[in-house]
Amino acid sequence: MSRKTTVVALALLLALASAGCGGDRDALTIYSGRTQNLIGPLLEKFNKDTGIAIDVKYGDSAELALLLDEEGERTPADIFLSQSPGATGFLAGKGRLGQLDAAVLDKVDARFRNAAGRWVGISGRQRVLVYNSEEVSQAELPNSVLELTDDRFAGKVAIAPSNGSFQDFVTAMRQLEGEEATEAWLKEMVANKPRTYANNNAIVEAVSRGEVEMGLVNHYYNYRFQQESPGTPSRNHSFAGDDVGALVIPSTASVLVGTDKTDEATRFLSFLLTEESQRYFSDQTFEYPLVAGVPAASGLPPLASLRSPDYDVDALGGGLERTVELIRTSGFNGV
Amino acid sequence: MASTASERRRGPARPRPRRRPAPAPLAAVSALVACLFATPLAYLAVRGLTEGGTLAAWTSAATLGPLARTLLLGVSVAAASAVLGTALAWLVARTDLPGRRAARLLLPLPLVMPSFIAAFALLAAFAPGGLLEGLLEPLGVDRLPAFEGFWGALYVLTLFTYPYVYLPVVARLGQLPASLEESARLLGRGPAAVFRTVVAPQAAGAVWAGTLLVFLYTISDFGAVQLLRYETLTSSIYTSRVFDRTGALAQSLLLGVLAVAVVAAERSATRGARPGRLAAGARSLRVPLGRWRGPAVALVAGVVGLALVAPVGVLAFWAGRGLVAGSTRAGALVSDAGGLALPAVHTATMAVLAALVAVAAVLPVAYLTVRHASRLAGAANAVIVGGFALPGLVVALALAFWTLQAPWPLAALYQTQALLVFAYVVHFGSQALRAAQVAVAAVPSRLDDAARTLGAGRLRRLRTVELPLATPGLLAGAGLVLLSTMKELPATLLLAPPGFETLATRIWNATEDAFLADASLAALSLLALSGILTWFLVVRHGNAPT
Repeated sequence: MSRKTTVVALALLLALASAGCGGDRDALTIYSGRTQNLIGPLLEKFNKDTGIAIDVKYGDSAELALLLDEEGERTPADIFLSQSPGATGFLAGKGRLGQLDAAVLDKVDARFRNAAGRWVGISGRQRVLVYNSEEVSQAELPNSVLELTDDRFAGKVAIAPSNGSFQDFVTAMRQLEGEEATEAWLKEMVANKPRTYANNNAIVEAVSRGEVEMGLVNHYYNYRFQQESPGTPSRNHSFAGDDVGALVIPSTASVLVGTDKTDEATRFLSFLLTEESQRYFSDQTFEYPLVAGVPAASGLPPLASLRSPDYDVDALGGGLERTVELIRTSGFNGV
Repeated sequence: MASTASERRRGPARPRPRRRPAPAPLAAVSALVACLFATPLAYLAVRGLTEGGTLAAWTSAATLGPLARTLLLGVSVAAASAVLGTALAWLVARTDLPGRRAARLLLPLPLVMPSFIAAFALLAAFAPGGLLEGLLEPLGVDRLPAFEGFWGALYVLTLFTYPYVYLPVVARLGQLPASLEESARLLGRGPAAVFRTVVAPQAAGAVWAGTLLVFLYTISDFGAVQLLRYETLTSSIYTSRVFDRTGALAQSLLLGVLAVAVVAAERSATRGARPGRLAAGARSLRVPLGRWRGPAVALVAGVVGLALVAPVGVLAFWAGRGLVAGSTRAGALVSDAGGLALPAVHTATMAVLAALVAVAAVLPVAYLTVRHASRLAGAANAVIVGGFALPGLVVALALAFWTLQAPWPLAALYQTQALLVFAYVVHFGSQALRAAQVAVAAVPSRLDDAARTLGAGRLRRLRTVELPLATPGLLAGAGLVLLSTMKELPATLLLAPPGFETLATRIWNATEDAFLADASLAALSLLALSGILTWFLVVRHGNAPT
């Protein structure tokens, strides 16, 4: 390739690259901790239905929250979608989230929205115990997550201590079972030699290989693994409905303070809570719809049948510093 | 650097390069470049001051334990990669190794595997209950040892970082004149002795250049250590990044300070090392391997097998399974791989731009650091090279912080491709600088002096004498930046314009949701694209006949 053709090729590539992206200043800008697979089709539909253009930046919920904090008032973002209430609570604590419309908030059960109106849950994921059905029989599995400290589970339980959902679960436990009981449980778990993993995926993968018998994860990962690899022996086990281990954690939507697109943002949040959008979550992403009257995916215990622990969901964000410290001082490695 | 010491004792006496004071324009440009590269460190310092508590965090047990593990892993991986990368480069560049043309293309490629997917694939392959265990079961192996912790991280990181050593060394060896080795062989020395006494001293600068990069990469890596459960500073930063900002900022700053100190110490230790000898266009020698041919082929095949074939095999298995099963999900790659075309174009464009800009930006600094003695040179070198140890997340947050504070024309760059390319250059410019320093040092100043005597101006000498001779080394540097940029994830996610997808972000998207088949297809595309670009930009120009 001569120098000239190289330059021409580069210029062409650059033109192609810049043509391929938005940067539309009038568009509704969304920072999404939910991946494209989980939300992309809904965004396209919203755009088609309303004609409102959307610019979306996908990323890790916690890292997007850090970016939003760093951007401050100059942020181009109008909306923040988060996989976990923890990252949302961090931004709410920094005063970065605006008050939501009451009509939007009221669509969702009070358990799954912010009491101060800073965020609303759009879908739910349940904490479960994933287990290898070739190594363990269902009868041996406990009804309560608190029983995992028993000797018979020594060395058999996988945990992802640095994972946001595990941390949300520990925060809920602090509220439901008390600070001391939680600390005692964490220390007994460490003494029971759990195997620590990087994240939910790594746990489900290790359980399906048989490297470890069971692990604490969110419910929908195993559905994906079973779709990709139908023969996998990994199965979900739900703890009893009133157990803290069976916590349902909402993924959240919020609006940034200082957006000049409040109306569009409110329309978007309402759109996420329509029956049709909620059905998308139950049918396509195996999550719990949070709006009353929309049934959960087949094979899932219905949300209403779960006496989902009645915790103060706001503290999931606010109380996380203490949770992380507690997990760390209990002796989990990798935290 | 032991080889330098022994080289001094043994080598024929040659005058040390004269270090002239730096011309003002060169110093000014270098200072500007260094300031731009210092933006992440400056951000950490500013934030550390405003948040406070830095010193307390540095001396807490939560920092010291991970710090010790970080250093242990960094030094171990650097040593292992130095040995492996140098051996492979010598086999490819200087011996009659069968299949070296293929090896030349394949050996740099492990560098492009994003560690978060490569480690995941290797776990699925080698961990207990994995694919390999399934293959070995008929042979009576029923439980493989655990694949994790220090040894797992050492193994995975060495396999994915040795190209940092291999690439500059292979470029250097391709330029060595054959005469010295021929003389050594005529004196009856075997391949090993020729390597030790002739090749190693000449390649030492390149080996050292790559080894430092491996060390810096290792202490900044997050994906592999997290999956393999070895707690280092980066995994600690990751855990506390949101809920313990003070701790995360302090630990990031510690990582940066550590890196800058190591780079500065390395520079003062190797100052005065002689530049290599070079004879452009000289036919390079092929050492016949003789009875070592078998083991040599086994080594190269083993490395390619473990670092490339094994993870690619796992990815191909997942992709194939997904393609057979199909998917009804909207936008699934297994049913419509066309979704990869635009991300592939984005990836290639950004990587080529970042590579070119990085080489252009660091070239003045390379001249300053190699040819001129000055404090500025030392500081610029430490800041640019040391910055490589900072995690991509820190680079991204720093650039967001500074860009949005800046006045209008600069602030308008926020979340544009231009800022993204800048982020890549700041993040990976160290790789181009190290390679450029080796390349510039290899140009004998005698040639420059001769051209000057003949009345050639500074720029003309640069264009007609120095750049042509330095080109293979500069291309090796560009290649390193290119491969690193293609797989970069955290800064890409945060700084790319909304909707701007690369292959790395597609892999991440699919991995997050456990769509293994989609992740595998995107990862295989990334690998293929890297192979094509490496061949076009680096191997083809590598000026060593094969």
